Order: sequence, then structure tokens, then C-alpha cells
Amino acid sequence: MADSGTLGLLMQGLNHVTPQSLVMIGVAGVLLYLGIVRKYEPLLLLPIGAGCLLANLPLSPLVAEDGMLRVLYDMGIRNELFPLLIFIGIGALTDFGPLLENPRLVLLGAAGQFGIFLTLLLALLLGFSRPEAASIGIIGAIDGPTSIYVSGLLAPHLLGPITVAAYSYMSLVPIILPPIMKLLTTQAERRIRMPYSQRQISRRTRILFPIVVTVLVGTLVPFATPLIGMLMLGNLMKESGVVERLTQASSNEIANAVTLFLGLAIGSTMVGSEFLKPSTLAILVLGLVAFTVDGIAGVLFAKLLNRLSGGKLNPLIGAAGLSAFPMAARVVQRVAQEEDFENFLLMHAMGANAAGQVASVVAGGVLLALMGAG
Amino acid sequence: MRRYTLGIGDREFVVDVQELDADHFEVAVGDKRFEVTLHGDEDLPEARIAPALPAAASVAASPQPSAPARAAAAGPQAVKPRTAGASLSTLAAPMPGVILELHVKAGDRVERGQAVAVLDAMKMHNLIGAPRAGVIAELCVAAGQAVGHGDPIVRFAD
Repeated sequence: MADSGTLGLLMQGLNHVTPQSLVMIGVAGVLLYLGIVRKYEPLLLLPIGAGCLLANLPLSPLVAEDGMLRVLYDMGIRNELFPLLIFIGIGALTDFGPLLENPRLVLLGAAGQFGIFLTLLLALLLGFSRPEAASIGIIGAIDGPTSIYVSGLLAPHLLGPITVAAYSYMSLVPIILPPIMKLLTTQAERRIRMPYSQRQISRRTRILFPIVVTVLVGTLVPFATPLIGMLMLGNLMKESGVVERLTQASSNEIANAVTLFLGLAIGSTMVGSEFLKPSTLAILVLGLVAFTVDGIAGVLFAKLLNRLSGGKLNPLIGAAGLSAFPMAARVVQRVAQEEDFENFLLMHAMGANAAGQVASVVAGGVLLALMGAG
Repeated sequence: MRRYTLGIGDREFVVDVQELDADHFEVAVGDKRFEVTLHGDEDLPEARIAPALPAAASVAASPQPSAPARAAAAGPQAVKPRTAGASLSTLAAPMPGVILELHVKAGDRVERGQAVAVLDAMKMHNLIGAPRAGVIAELCVAAGQAVGHGDPIVRFAD
């Protein structure tokens, strides 16, 4: 006959179900739904949702000491290893050719980061601490690994909501950007054609570019060195053409495995007591503000460049100045082609987009420097 | 509106260029009117200049006034064809990439804007539409073939 003690041991799980954990399991369900049914960044939202679900089950051994999710977190999030490994893969997939063909597009990449700094100020006004505000602003980089890297250093307790916001909004680029672009431009501006410039970029230039950028950015913004260094390492491997196997491994096997680990570990940080706070809602809203302001600033700045260039630059490509490579550039091409099927802005948009990728990394480094992180 | 008064030999031409749109101009040479599409505008020291006249323009393009029209285009708003070597008799690749699909075959009649090919550039599938109505004379590429900027994709019969 089982006494109440034995029964208590057997029913331990049920007894530890809390309202908070039930809500978080619901949140995990939403993330899984977004990933599986809506296909919003499924590669990330599915593991994050699964990590969140597993971490919020009662007494989950996965997040206890030496539990798998805890080990993954210690192994790659706390020390920033995972986002950096992913950056090698991103570098190996990024083609800086269109940017090298049209270097003035760098300016658009810079403009596309404006939302970061505006959102930082807004977050400060809302009462977030300086490191927290900087971590929230970095959602405006529209770049997952950069957001994880910066917030992991400055405000690890906000990592869950910031990562979810960053990746959710990244996946919403095709939905959020086009209305902004159409609202801020006239039909005549959207129809400006920008013929492909067809400047041949020599192999030597392509190889020197990642090295020069690393040295330059690393010297000017030392806090950005890990991110820019890994991004450019991946690009150097790709452009050199001599380490095909390493390039393949970085952009496929390593990136895939790390994406799984990263998603699970991020999901495991989303436990009720940390996540179910008004601040999470504020972060989601502020992230959206950062994203929207990036798009607006990019397009408006491109309009300015259009004036300066005597009407030759289609302001739509400004929207590609935020990161989210290469999705933002594709959105630009699609919107331009809706107006004029013979207009191909893709290469120019890719240039602005690659510039945005570098600029968001630099912005992350600048934020870390401003906050005096180590 | 900008008026150019040009002398060729001992003849004088009055050319009016009216900007309709960022890349659309109405060019009047004497009493003939043309709708001109501006595909590009850059300073080239020794550029060969000719305006691209869309076949669908309200006025049929007659070959005679080409000399003054060229002269008109030589003004500040220089008009040059979209790509070197390509004219309206061909549809050229707007950027480098790989032709994934061809939606037409030789002998097909296409309307302006009708999908002719799908070009994969920077891993994006781009629909390439016919620049004008006409009959396809020849396919210049096969599916799966890489093309460079300005390479012909199809040739028109007329």
C-alpha cells in the first residue's frame, strides 16, 4: 500500500505544474506554430520553441545542473561562441561583389542602422537600464547573431525575448518593409531604373576586401572584432576558393549544427519567472519600432542620395540597408518589379544589403564600446 | 521642356525634349513626336548614342529622323541603349545569373510583359518579361545555362 509520501514522489511532476509554466508552454506552442505552420524562420523558431517547451516542463532535468540545455547554454551562449560560429557561415554565403561594384552603397548600410539608436533612447525613456536599452536597440540591426552577441554580453537576462523579437521581425521583412517603401516613395521614384553596372571585380580585390575590412573595423571598433572577424573569415574562405571544404562545412554542417544548439539554448532561457514580465512586451514593441525606423531611415536617406545623384538612384534600395541579408534585397527587387517588370534593382539592392550586414556588426561593436562592455 | 536648336550641314532642326517621368521623355523633332524611354544616363567619352523607341509607342517610329534624334539625345539627357550590342530585336539578360526556365519557344507570339524566362541571380528567381510584343525567332540560351549581363536570351523575328 502506497503511503502519501510515495504518492507524492510519483506525482512530483504534476505537483510542480505552475500557472507560469503552463503559459510558457503556450508560448512554446506559439513559436512552434509560427515556425511549422507559418514558416517564419523555422530553422530557428522550431528549436527555440522546443527549447522553451522542454525547459518549462515541471522539474525539467534538461535545465538542471548538467542538464543538456544548460550545458548547451554554458557551452555557446554565455561565452558567445555560437553566434560567432554562425557568422563564419554567413560570411561564406555573403557576396560582397555588388557592394564592391558600387561602393557608395555603404552609406545606405549606415542609414539602415538608425533605428538601433533611436530605439535605445526610447528604451532608456521607458526605464530600462543602459545595457538593457542597448540590447533592445540592437534588435534594429535586424541580424540575429549580432543581437544574440550584444545582448548576451550586456543583458543576458533579456536574451530570450530579444532573440525571439529579432528573428520574428527578420522573418517579417517581406511583410513589414513593402508598405513602408511604398508610403515613402512616389511611383516615379519606384520606377527609376538602375542598369546593372557590370564592373568586373578582380579576384585580388575580392580577397583583399575581407582582410582590409577586418583590420580597419577591428582597429576602429575593437568590440566589433569578434563579429567582423568571423564574418570576414567566412568570406575570405569563400573568395579565396582554396578551402572549398571548409567553406562548405562552415556554411552547411557547422552552421546547421550550431543553429540547432543555439535555438535550443535560447529557448531554454525562456522560463516563466524571467519571460512573463511587462518588459518582454515592451521589448517586442520596441523591436518593431527599431525595425520600422530602420526601414524609414534607409528609404529617406536613399531619397536624399537620389536628389544628390540627380535622380539616378532608386530610393527603394535604401530599404535593403538594414541587415537581413539577402531577404531585404529580394523584397526591394520584388517591389520594384511590381511597378515596372523591366526594372532589375537586385544587384544594387544586394550591395546595399551587404553594406547593411557589415554596418549592423559595426553598430553592435559601437554599442558595446559605448556601454564599456568587456 | 528643353529646346535644342541644332544645325546639321546647312539644315536646322528644332528638338524639344519634355520630361514625362524620371525615365520617359517626349521628344519632338520638327513636327514628329516620339516617346523615348531612358534606360541609362552616363557620361561616356566616345559613346554611340541612340534612343530606344518602344514599338508600342503611339507614333510609329520612322527611320528618317534618326540623325536629328541622335543629335537631340546628345544633349545633357543623353539617351543610350540599355546594353551594348543589344537592341529591341533581342531580349538581353539584365544581370548575370543562370537561366532556370524558358517559357517560350521559337515561333511563339508574345505580348509585352509576358514571362519569357526565369533568371536565377543571387539565388533569387527573377521573371524576365518580353520588352515588346512580337514573334520569337530564336532562343539564344538553354535552361540551366549561365548568362552574363547583356547576353541575348531570345531574338525577335521582326
